[in-house]
Amino acid sequence: MWFRGCRSLGWLVVLLSAIVGNTAMADDENADGDLAAYDAIVEPIDREHWSYLPVTKPPVPAVTDADWVRNPIDGFILATLEKRGWKPAAPAKRRELLRRVYLDVIGLPPSPAEQQKFLADNSPVAFERVVDGLLKRKGYGERWARHWLDVVRYAETNGYERDAIKPSVWRYRDYVIDAFNNDKPYNRFVLEQLAGDELPDSSSETLIATGFYRLGPWDDEPADPLQDHSDQLDDLIRTTSEVFLGMTLGCARCHNHKFDALSMHDYYRMAAIFNGLQRPQAGRGELDLPAGSGKQLAALAERDRDIAAAQAKIKALQSVFWAKFIAAETSQLPRAALLAFRTEPGKRTAEQNKLAGQHAAALEKEIQAALPDATRKQIVSLEQNIAKLKQTILDLPRGYFLHEPSPKVAVSHLLLRGRASNRGPQVQPGLPTVLVAVQPKFPQPAAGTSLRRLTLARWVARSENPLTARVVVNRVWQRHFGAGLVRTPNDFGVLGDSPTHPKLLDWLADWFVHDANWSLKRLHRLILTSNTFRMSKQWNAEYGKADPTNQFFWRFPYSRLEVEAIRDSMLAVSGRLNRKMHGPSTYLYVPKEALDGHSDPGKIWKPFDENEASRRTVYAFIKRSMVVPLLEVLDLCDSTRSSERRNVTSVPTQALTLFNGNFVNRQARHFATRLQREAADKPDEQIEHAWTLALCRPPRADELKIMQQFLANETQAVRAEATKRNEILSDAEARQRALVQMCRVIFNLNEFVYPN
Amino acid sequence: MKNDSSPLNHNFTSRRELLRNLGGGFASLALVDLLSRDGFFSRRAEAATESTSAAVRPLLAPQPPHFPTKAKHVIFLFMNGAPSQVDTFDPKPALEKYAGKPYSGKAKVGSNGRPIGYLTPSFFKFRPRGKSGLEISDIFPHTSQHADDICVIRSLQTDTAAHASGCLQMNTGSVFIGKPSLGSWMSYGLGTENANLPSFVVMTDPRGGPIGSASNWMGGFLPAAYQGTLFRSGGVPLLDLATPPGVSDNTQRCSLDLLKQLNQRHRQAFPNESELTARILSYELAYKMQTSAAEVVDLDREDRQTRDAYGIDEKLTSDFGRKCLIARRLIERGVRFVQLYSGGGHIEDTWDGHTNCRSNHKLHAGETDKPIGALISDLKRSGLWDETVIVWGGEFGRTPTSEGVGKPGRDHNWRGFSMWLAGAGVKGGQAIGATDELGFLAVEEPHHISDLHATILHLMGLDHELLTYFYRGLEERITGVRGQVIQKALA
Repeated sequence: MWFRGCRSLGWLVVLLSAIVGNTAMADDENADGDLAAYDAIVEPIDREHWSYLPVTKPPVPAVTDADWVRNPIDGFILATLEKRGWKPAAPAKRRELLRRVYLDVIGLPPSPAEQQKFLADNSPVAFERVVDGLLKRKGYGERWARHWLDVVRYAETNGYERDAIKPSVWRYRDYVIDAFNNDKPYNRFVLEQLAGDELPDSSSETLIATGFYRLGPWDDEPADPLQDHSDQLDDLIRTTSEVFLGMTLGCARCHNHKFDALSMHDYYRMAAIFNGLQRPQAGRGELDLPAGSGKQLAALAERDRDIAAAQAKIKALQSVFWAKFIAAETSQLPRAALLAFRTEPGKRTAEQNKLAGQHAAALEKEIQAALPDATRKQIVSLEQNIAKLKQTILDLPRGYFLHEPSPKVAVSHLLLRGRASNRGPQVQPGLPTVLVAVQPKFPQPAAGTSLRRLTLARWVARSENPLTARVVVNRVWQRHFGAGLVRTPNDFGVLGDSPTHPKLLDWLADWFVHDANWSLKRLHRLILTSNTFRMSKQWNAEYGKADPTNQFFWRFPYSRLEVEAIRDSMLAVSGRLNRKMHGPSTYLYVPKEALDGHSDPGKIWKPFDENEASRRTVYAFIKRSMVVPLLEVLDLCDSTRSSERRNVTSVPTQALTLFNGNFVNRQARHFATRLQREAADKPDEQIEHAWTLALCRPPRADELKIMQQFLANETQAVRAEATKRNEILSDAEARQRALVQMCRVIFNLNEFVYPN
Repeated sequence: MKNDSSPLNHNFTSRRELLRNLGGGFASLALVDLLSRDGFFSRRAEAATESTSAAVRPLLAPQPPHFPTKAKHVIFLFMNGAPSQVDTFDPKPALEKYAGKPYSGKAKVGSNGRPIGYLTPSFFKFRPRGKSGLEISDIFPHTSQHADDICVIRSLQTDTAAHASGCLQMNTGSVFIGKPSLGSWMSYGLGTENANLPSFVVMTDPRGGPIGSASNWMGGFLPAAYQGTLFRSGGVPLLDLATPPGVSDNTQRCSLDLLKQLNQRHRQAFPNESELTARILSYELAYKMQTSAAEVVDLDREDRQTRDAYGIDEKLTSDFGRKCLIARRLIERGVRFVQLYSGGGHIEDTWDGHTNCRSNHKLHAGETDKPIGALISDLKRSGLWDETVIVWGGEFGRTPTSEGVGKPGRDHNWRGFSMWLAGAGVKGGQAIGATDELGFLAVEEPHHISDLHATILHLMGLDHELLTYFYRGLEERITGVRGQVIQKALA
C-alpha cells in the first residue's frame, strides 16, 4: 500500500498516489464505529524503511589516507570521498578555524587575547583545548538554545488578533539555555519536556520544561471552540512528532498518511495521549502557574489556603467595624457623603458614586483611627501570621505550561476529516503502529495525572527508539555544517531525504546513546575535533560540478551566520554586549514607522533602553504579529510551526537595514570609540585592531592601503563639508567620524557574516 | 536561452576555464563580468575580450526574450488558501438540482481521498458579463466589468491537496522546497528593465505569509540574485531607505564603494558562491533604491480619484488596494514580476473556507475585487495593459460538496479548479476547458498547472523548454518533464 520512493521520485510518487492512493482511505459509512477502517495495514516492508530499523553500529570503514582520520567521523567521510577518487579539502588556516569554532559554539568571535593565546599554543591539542573551553562557556547554551527554540516554534505571544503575551514563557527559554549549559542528557531533556509534571522527581524545572507544549500560536477567541480544541491538539501532535521523531504524523489528521505507514488511527492515538492537557486561563486571558515538585506544590497550596483564610478573617473584622462606623454619627465627613456610603454601592445615584469616590480615602483614615484596640490587635496578629507563612513557604517560580488537573481524561474520538464536529469511533492512547510490535500498556492511575505522556516520553527516550537519537544527532550535525546528513531534519519518512552517509548517521546515533550517554557536549566535541570540521572551504571545480550542494562533504560548507550570531557579534565587537543572562525578554529597537501599522503602537512595544537591548539576541522579545524588522529581514524563522532550518536570502531590503538602520550605525559608533580607546591614535593601529576584533585576522597589505586611503579621504571630506557649513570641526572629531564609517563598512562585509 | 549556448566561445583561457568550472549559464557570465570589471583577469586578457564584452552582462541586465512578444511584466494575484471555483468563475447550475444529495459519481475524488459528502450549489449568483457573456459570480462586481479581457481556465489540476505543497507547486512547479519560483525564472530569463528596483517583488498579507514563507519566492538553485524581494506587509513597505543622520551623500557613496571593493577582493577566493555575489549586488541595488523606491511606495503622489478607485481609504480594501497601486507603480518603472498575496495566517484569514465558504469568500472577494478592478482600468488607461500579464488564482480549488451536512464550508479540490489570465497577449472573454457537471473533475481539456506556467512564460516570450538551468546533472526547468502552452489562451 505504501509507496516507497526517494525524493528524486517524488513526482512519480505524487502522481501514483493521486491514482491509487485513496484505496487506504476509509468511507464515511464507518463514521459510526469501525475503527479498523482507519488503520493502515502495516506490511513488513513498511517497517523496513531505513529510519524505522534499529540503529546498529557499523564498523568504521578502512581508508587509504589513514593519516587524515582523526576520529571515526573522518573515516566515514573520507571513505565516501575515496570511493569517488576525491580528496578532502585542505585544512582551514588556524585563524579561520578559530573564528569558525567560536561562532559555531558560542555565536561570538574570539577576542584578540583569545586569538593570541591560541596562536601561541603550539601543543598538538591546542584546538581541542579551545573546543573544551568553549563548551564550558555560558555562551554555548545561549547559542545552541536558539537552535532548539527554532525547532519548538518558540515565540512569546499567541498571534492572532490580540496577540497577547504568554506570561512567564521566558522561563522555558532559560530552561533550554541551562539544559544545554549543564549538558543535560538528551534523553532526560526529552522526558522533561514531554512529561516533566509526571516524572517521579518532578520539580519546578521539569514543570517549566513542559512549556514545550504551550509555545505555539493560539486564538483566544476562536470561532468554533470545539474545533479550536482539536486544532490545539493538532499543534501538539505535529510538533512533538516532528521535533523528537522526525515524523510527519500531522499529515494523518484527515486521512492516512499518503507516503508513510501512519494511519489516522495512529494520529488519534497520539491525540488521546495529549487529551488530558488543559490550558490554564481566565476568560481570554492566560494564566501562568507555580512550578515545583508535587510536595512543594501541595505545601504552597496549603499555605495559600491558610493565607486566604487569614485574609478573609481580616476582611470580616474590617467590614463589621466599617458598617458600625458609618451607621454611627462619629464621622466628620459631610452628611451627604456619609449617606452615600450608607447606600448599597449598586443603588447609589451618580452623585453619590462621585461623593463616595471623593471621600473614600478620608473615610478609611477615620476608620483606621477609630478602630478599637482589640480589633486592631486581631488584625495585626493575622497579618503577622500571613507574613510568617510567606516567609516559611516561599513563592515558587511561575511557569507557562499546560497542566493535567485530573487522572481522568475525556474519551477521545477519531475525527472524520479532522473536523471536531464529525466524531468517529472512540480511540485509546497509543503509539504509531509501524514503530511498535505491541502497543504499550497505558496505566490507569487514581490520582495525579493520566501518566499517558510519561508512557510516550519513556518510549521516545528509550535507547532502542530508532528515531530519537538519529534525529537529534542529525540536528546537531546540521547546525555545525549548515546541512544535516539527512537534509530534511523534520522528516525522516519516505518523502524525506535519505541520509547522505547512512552509516555515519547510525554510528553517531549509536555512539551518542551508548558511549556518550546522550551527552550533547561529547557529541559536539567529537564533531568539532574531527578533521572533517577542520577542512577549509576551498572550492574544487570537479567536485563542485558533480556535487554542487556538497552532500559528500568534500569541503567545509559555505553558510551565512544566523541573525542572532550576526547581531551578537556586532555587539561583542563594538564592546557593548551586555552579558546579563536569563529573565524576562528585552525589547530591541524598532523604528517608529514599523509600529505605525499597529492600532496601539505605544502599548505593544516598550521604550528603547540601550543597555537592556544590548543583551544577546536569544533574549529578544519575539512578538508573533510584529517581528523586529532587523530579525525579520535577516531570516528569523517562522514561529507558527516547527522550523527545521533558516532560509538564507540576500535581498536589498537586508542591505538597507544593515547599512542604514539604527542598530548597525549605533554599533559602528561604539566600535569606533572602542578603537580610539584601545588602539594608539594612529590609523594603522586602529585598522589592524578593527580587523582583529571583527575578522580575527590582521588586514592584508592591500587592505591596509585601501583603508588608510579611505580614512584619509573621509577625514578630509568630513572637514570640507563642515567648513562648507561654517562649522568648526577638530581634527580628532573628523578622524572619529571617518572611523565610524570604516566600522560601519566592516560590519557589512561579506566576510563578517560569512565566516571563512 | 539554454545556458550552454555561451556566447563566450573565444579562446580566452581564463574566462573559459572559469566558465567551465561554473557550469556555464547566466550566473557565470554575470560573475565573469563582475570579476572582469574588478580587474580579476589580467589587463591583457581583458583587452582581448573586448569584442565579447557586450555579450557579458550583469545578472539582471535586460535580456531579449526567445521570441518577440508584447508582454513585459507579470502581476500575480495569489489568492492564498484556495478559492472555490463553483463560487467564483465556474458556474454549475446542475448543483441546484443535486443540492443536498451525496456525490454519486464513479470517480474517487475529493480532498485527501475522503469520500464526497453533500452537493451544495454556489453561495453566489452567476451572471453573463460583457459582450462575451463570460459568467462570473456576483462577488466580483468590479472584476466583472473587465470580463471581455479575462480568460478563465476552468480545467486546472495540481498534484497536492495540502496548502504548503500547493503554494510551493503553484509558485515553483514542484511540491518540494528548494526550486526556483516563477518570478525567479522570469528574472533569470529576462532580467529587469529597471536596475534601480528589484526585478521580482513580493507583498504578503498583513495577517501572515503563505506557509513556507520565503521558500515560495526564493531562487532555489538559480543564482541567489534572482530571488524575490519581500516588501513589508503592514505599515511602511520599506524601512531604512534614508541615509543615516549625519552621513552625507558623498560619504554614503564612498563607504559603499569601499564595501564593494573589499567584498570583491574577498570573493576572489570564493568565485563560486552565488550568495556572495548576490549580497554584493544587493548593496548596489539598495543604494539605488534609496532614491528610487521611496518614490514608488509613496502613494501620496497619487491623486484622490486614483486612491478612491483602488479603495485605499476604505478599511476593507485599504491593504490590497495599496498593494495593487504599488504593483502598478512598480511595473510602470520596469519591475518584471510582482506577486501580491490575499490572505495569510489563520485558516479563515485566508481563502480556506472550510467552515463557512460563503462568509469567507465574501470577505476576501470584498477586500480584493475593487482594487483588482481599479488596477485593470488603471493599466488600460496608462497603456501598460498592452505589456502586462495578470494572473489570478490560488493553490487549488474547493469541493462542490459541503464540508459536513448542512454546513456552508467547502473542502480542498485539486483536480479541477479555475484561474484566470488577462492582459498582454491573452485572448479575453472566454473560458477554456471545463469541469464535470458538478465542478469536481476537470474533464474537458484538463490542464496541469505546468501548462499554466508554460503559458505565462510563453506570454512573456519565453519557451519553457528552453528556459533551463543546468543543475546536478539535469537541465532543470519550471515545468519539469511536462508543460504545454495553452494555445487557446493566446490572442
